[in-house]
Amino acid sequence: MKTSKGGWIARVILGAALGVLSSVVLASYLAESRGPTLAVSLLCAGLGGVLSAATLPFADDGRSLLLHSAVHFEATALLFGLLMAQLGARGAELLAWEAILFLLYAVVWLGRWIGWYVEVMQLRTMLGLAPGPSPLKWRETLPYLAFALLLCDVLPMLLFWADHAVSADVPVLSGLLLPYLLLPVAGFSSGMSLGKRQGVCPLYPAACFVCYLPMVFLLFNYTAMFHCFMVAVPALAGNVTGWLYRRAASKKKS
Amino acid sequence: MEVEIRLESGRKEPKVVILAGEDSGELRRLAESLSRLSLGPVPVSGGGEKLLLPQEEFLRFYTDGKGVSAQTRSGTYGVPLRLYELEERLDAARFVRISNGEIVNLDRVTAVDLSLSGTIRMTLDGTVHAYVSRRYMKKIRETLNLGRRNGYENK
Repeated sequence: MKTSKGGWIARVILGAALGVLSSVVLASYLAESRGPTLAVSLLCAGLGGVLSAATLPFADDGRSLLLHSAVHFEATALLFGLLMAQLGARGAELLAWEAILFLLYAVVWLGRWIGWYVEVMQLRTMLGLAPGPSPLKWRETLPYLAFALLLCDVLPMLLFWADHAVSADVPVLSGLLLPYLLLPVAGFSSGMSLGKRQGVCPLYPAACFVCYLPMVFLLFNYTAMFHCFMVAVPALAGNVTGWLYRRAASKKKS
Repeated sequence: MEVEIRLESGRKEPKVVILAGEDSGELRRLAESLSRLSLGPVPVSGGGEKLLLPQEEFLRFYTDGKGVSAQTRSGTYGVPLRLYELEERLDAARFVRISNGEIVNLDRVTAVDLSLSGTIRMTLDGTVHAYVSRRYMKKIRETLNLGRRNGYENK
């Protein structure tokens, strides 16, 4: 670790001090009170301290990086949740704030990962090796995007039309068959096929989710949001299964 | 510049003599870069035998709890040296430390991959895997920049 332990402690103390200062601003803008309560000040100090150590987990590699990053996120989410609760957030609002925090974390992680990817690309170039897969394997995922569009956009529209064409009381095709059978099975199978060919491609489940999202509001309503998960989660599970199969097969071969 | 190679039986490490009319900066740089080239063989032990193997045969040197081991295409040998001692003895343009416990032969790297958790994996000769610590990435890049700028890869 480049920065010494003393350096980190100084950073955490500075972060905590900045947290206390920001609690004054938070209290007046968000809670519309003259000054922060003791609990808000303490939580802001804790949050400031934790955020100032945000780069610490990235000094490690592999498992310890994941573990330290997860612990840091949990500590941040806990302090942030308690702070928002102190400032009056409840239920869905609190969850929304936590979701925003998670998205911020995901963006920071992605930024770091792209930095590492660029470093590896440079290394490959210097060693005279082939450029390797694209970032997050987006290029390798592209051929499967056509299938995702068919599965998540064309198929729901067809089934919705079929349900309405026969004027059935219960929309069996779009309301039952699609979310509980077709989306999970097709999502899992296509994800597995991609995993077997290209390894883990995290953008594929995300693409399935995003492709289905317009259908929720065009054909159904917000109560059908779970359809997005019914395709994205099996796609992720299939992709990981395919990657595990590929790994086991290559180990057996060597 | 004329280059002449004279073979001398029994010599274990090459010796280079530069003949020039007068001293110059270029000459000093040439001498410096030649002196950095460590081309001597590495002593190893395996199967009850002590051997001297040429550097280009090695894929990697690594610590394995008992001491330092060396891996070649044909097998694994024990090395009676510490990793830092090996670092001083090996050709700095070919061998580089990639983590606290591993030195690899850059000429034998066939793939470099990055996992989702940020782990960098080097594949040597298509079969042997070594894991790069990101703390050593700068040093690896410097080695590649230094050693390969002078057409090392064209040797």
